[in-house]
Amino acid sequence: MTCDTPASADRAGIGALDVTLLDLRLRRRAILGYAVGLAVYTLAVVAIYPSFKGDTSLDKLMQSDPTLMAAFGVTGSLTSPVGWLNANIFNNFLPVVAVIVAIGYGAWCVAGQDESGALAPVAALPLTRPNLVAQKCVALAVQLAPTMALTFCCVLLGRFFQLDVGVGRLIAATVSIWLLGVGFGLLALLVGVLAGSRGMAIGVSSAVAAAAYLISSFAATISWIRPARFASPFYWAVGADPLRGGLGVGHFAALVGLAILLLAGAMVAMRRADLH
Amino acid sequence: MADAVATSKLTKTFGRRRGVIDVDLRVRRGEVFGFLGPNGAGKSTTIRLLLGLYQPTSGDVTVLGRDPLADGVAIRARVGYLPGELALFPRLTGREHLDWFARARAIRSTKYRDELVDRFGVELDRPVRALSKGNRQKIGIVLAFMHRPELLVLDEPTSGLDPLLQDEFARLLRETAADGRTVFLSSHELDEVQRIADRVAIIKEGRIVVTDGVEQLRRSAPRTVEFAFERDVDLAAFSAIEGVRLLENVDHRVRLALSGAIAPLLRVAAELEPVDMTARPADLEELFLTYYRDDARTTGPRDDM
Repeated sequence: MTCDTPASADRAGIGALDVTLLDLRLRRRAILGYAVGLAVYTLAVVAIYPSFKGDTSLDKLMQSDPTLMAAFGVTGSLTSPVGWLNANIFNNFLPVVAVIVAIGYGAWCVAGQDESGALAPVAALPLTRPNLVAQKCVALAVQLAPTMALTFCCVLLGRFFQLDVGVGRLIAATVSIWLLGVGFGLLALLVGVLAGSRGMAIGVSSAVAAAAYLISSFAATISWIRPARFASPFYWAVGADPLRGGLGVGHFAALVGLAILLLAGAMVAMRRADLH
Repeated sequence: MADAVATSKLTKTFGRRRGVIDVDLRVRRGEVFGFLGPNGAGKSTTIRLLLGLYQPTSGDVTVLGRDPLADGVAIRARVGYLPGELALFPRLTGREHLDWFARARAIRSTKYRDELVDRFGVELDRPVRALSKGNRQKIGIVLAFMHRPELLVLDEPTSGLDPLLQDEFARLLRETAADGRTVFLSSHELDEVQRIADRVAIIKEGRIVVTDGVEQLRRSAPRTVEFAFERDVDLAAFSAIEGVRLLENVDHRVRLALSGAIAPLLRVAAELEPVDMTARPADLEELFLTYYRDDARTTGPRDDM
């Protein structure tokens, strides 16, 4: 038998990141769109800060109904640089967008591709199921990076608009939200593998994310919710205000641990999954 | 050398839903093996079990002598797969698909792949969402064959191909078998399988009903006999003969399937004074239909599981 290409029978899996690169390529428009959209939004928030910096009525509003404001992720002074960025970006908009992007990909990358039938030719390649999941996880983490990086850069430009925050704490806040997104993306991936349904993956993960967000937000003002905050990844990511005080080791470990746990769960579930 | 495919009591259920039950298959190295059955009979389920895409509920399966679950990576490096409902990535072009899969399989030379592209006239430069089913299927064929696998597992491979390309595909299968490689091919069309397969298995409602060589099957297949009468005749007499089944009765023309000796039939027919008689040679189609007639009549086409 002549063979141009001796298919190496015991190759331990296909090229290091082929599946990652494929998924990133398929998602490149969405990745670019979210990154540019968030950058424009962040620039707008930063650029209008000088107009609100001296507006004490905003802080009065905050004091008049702290519970309502907590629902929008607003805590503390609205007119300080950290308060302004938290209220407009880091406590709500950025984590919510990161979670939406991540859940979208997590639900699509296995369950969605399997439903459309596009996963079968990939799964029929010489790669193990855990390898496939690991490559999807890398793609998940990488695709959130441009959004995070551009937002980070745009906030840094704030120093030209009287909006100065420490670079270290800004890195901490950005990384914590990035880890939060990865966690919810992996949750969607896991639910998708278990349920074999993209819709179910999006539904369950979004419901969990919404509950987690509300718990973390209201924990600051409603005492009976307060003990539940430890169950919310949002609390670990943004609840302790990393933009003000940095990201504690415990919070960082909780977010990384959650991601590792979900990744391991997805790998185990994937071993047993029926793919079409 | 181990068989290319061997299954024993292979069973897959999806909750209460039937998949396949007690499937026993042996596919020898170097043969073209046809896997026939109506839509929904369990062809794709069996194929996915062979590739390790499904976990069996019970039973054993080996492919190229190995377990598809434990040694899936090693097996899939040596197998080419064409799914039944081939879905590609809509925005990528054919070339982008071929390049990505070639890289993923670490194919160093693209000579054979390019030959296949020329041979089937594969459209490379348009996104696959803009391609017809047939043109997408051609990409799937190249993806399955381009690494010259030892075993090809092809689920309804000619679906969407025009007749000329179906002939070209049949030639490709013969070359593959002549090269000592094995082809496992599913189809719901007997014509296709009897043209190119050495042996066939027929699956009905999740169970294998027969496995045999095409020639042996042809020998045991029913012949079609047709009588023309000038008046209405009582067909009960025909139905009573062993090995005779009534196929059709239109305008005093009665078509029968006959397996076994013809003499009893001729004796009964002579009594009814036919004006004409024709007999066609053994028809595998008839045999095929007898195995899954009920299925075809009651369920009609549906998505294969």
